[in-house]
Amino acid sequence: MTHKKRQHASPAGGFRRAVQQLETAAEEYYRAPYRGAIARAKRDEDDLFMLFVFAEMLGIPNPAAYFTLELQPLLLERFHDWHRRMGMEHSPLDHFRCC
Amino acid sequence: MLDLLNRRFLFVGGKGGVGKTTIAAALASMGAEQGKSCLIVSTDPAHSLGDIFSRPIGSREMPLAANLVGLEIDPETETNRFIDAVKRNMRRLVRPELYREIDRQMELARDAPGAAEAALLERVAELMAEGLDRYDLVVFDTAPTGHTLRLLSLPEVMAAWSDGMLAHHERSRHFASLLAKLGARKPNGDELASIDHEPERRSGDSASQIRALLLARRRKFHRARRLLLDDTLSAFLLVLIPERLPILESRKALRMLRRFDIPVAAMVINRLLPRDVEGEFFNRRREQEAEYLREIEHTFAAIRRYRIPLLERDIHDFASVCRISRLLADELRRSSGLP
Repeated sequence: MTHKKRQHASPAGGFRRAVQQLETAAEEYYRAPYRGAIARAKRDEDDLFMLFVFAEMLGIPNPAAYFTLELQPLLLERFHDWHRRMGMEHSPLDHFRCC
Repeated sequence: MLDLLNRRFLFVGGKGGVGKTTIAAALASMGAEQGKSCLIVSTDPAHSLGDIFSRPIGSREMPLAANLVGLEIDPETETNRFIDAVKRNMRRLVRPELYREIDRQMELARDAPGAAEAALLERVAELMAEGLDRYDLVVFDTAPTGHTLRLLSLPEVMAAWSDGMLAHHERSRHFASLLAKLGARKPNGDELASIDHEPERRSGDSASQIRALLLARRRKFHRARRLLLDDTLSAFLLVLIPERLPILESRKALRMLRRFDIPVAAMVINRLLPRDVEGEFFNRRREQEAEYLREIEHTFAAIRRYRIPLLERDIHDFASVCRISRLLADELRRSSGLP
């Protein structure tokens, strides 16, 4: 695609922009589904990680509860996103309110 | 004898009341007498180290004699220290309105089951790491068998836990880097908005903090486990008295220790009846003792055994600790065949 650019460099700047836009759109067309799938996989992974960290609070006994404590502050933001995403306006945990 | 004291960490364990603290103190003072700088650490929440040296010791390192420093780990102090650090961390990250919530949450965690145990593990792991640099010999006077076995198995369990957490975290990181390669544009689907929206920048930052914390944890647990399992560095000594229940418990303890690959260097048979006491009562006791001794020789044939006699007085100060220490030194010398 670089030589294409060179070819059409001088005649019309407008045409060059149009080609670029077309390229971006095409790229986007192919990439979007992948990106969606990967984003979803990442989100699931993050949710699972969060579940491990907050397990004890959700009533799931966790032998490592003590060591997850130090991770909790770092996950506040994610926890907030999670309960919003799950359709809960406020934190579902009585003793853990992020908002 | 030297091979035992040349180790860097000695764990002294056994059933409650068999004389663990006495033997631990004797080993530490033996090391100190040889000019090694020694630390003796009590991990039993019901400490008796201070009682044996007739002085308060507490959770700070306290000089007890030349080359000898004592320390009683207080799980409560350790838990508080840890929780306060987490609290400070949390406060940095959330709005002030939430401070009370955090405090409440942390109070619950402080008393949660397992917290004291985890705090103890944390401190023992730290002491092993530091002890390697700061002392020639660290002797751990442990809590009765059950607790100690659990404590010693924790590094393995917790190392596996931190490995697992890190694996999940790494997977998420991998996805994030793939996403970055595919272009940083926000997806059009609303259902994914939470991933790429504004918090992303901050959570990217917290992701690396999470990673750093997990890596530090993992390093600590793996290190403690590596030190513990290295039989040139660490040894476990089982103390028992020639009676039925301690023998049974020692047998169980040995099985558990083997399961976790923790090397057992020797057994100390404590409080043997002296030969020169006469009388019907003592003769009967000695007969029973002989039976149990035979059982011990038979059951624990593969392990080196040292014998310490019953003394006429309790161990209550440094001088009496030294007396046991000399008796133990004789035993060590005798069994290693040195003059």
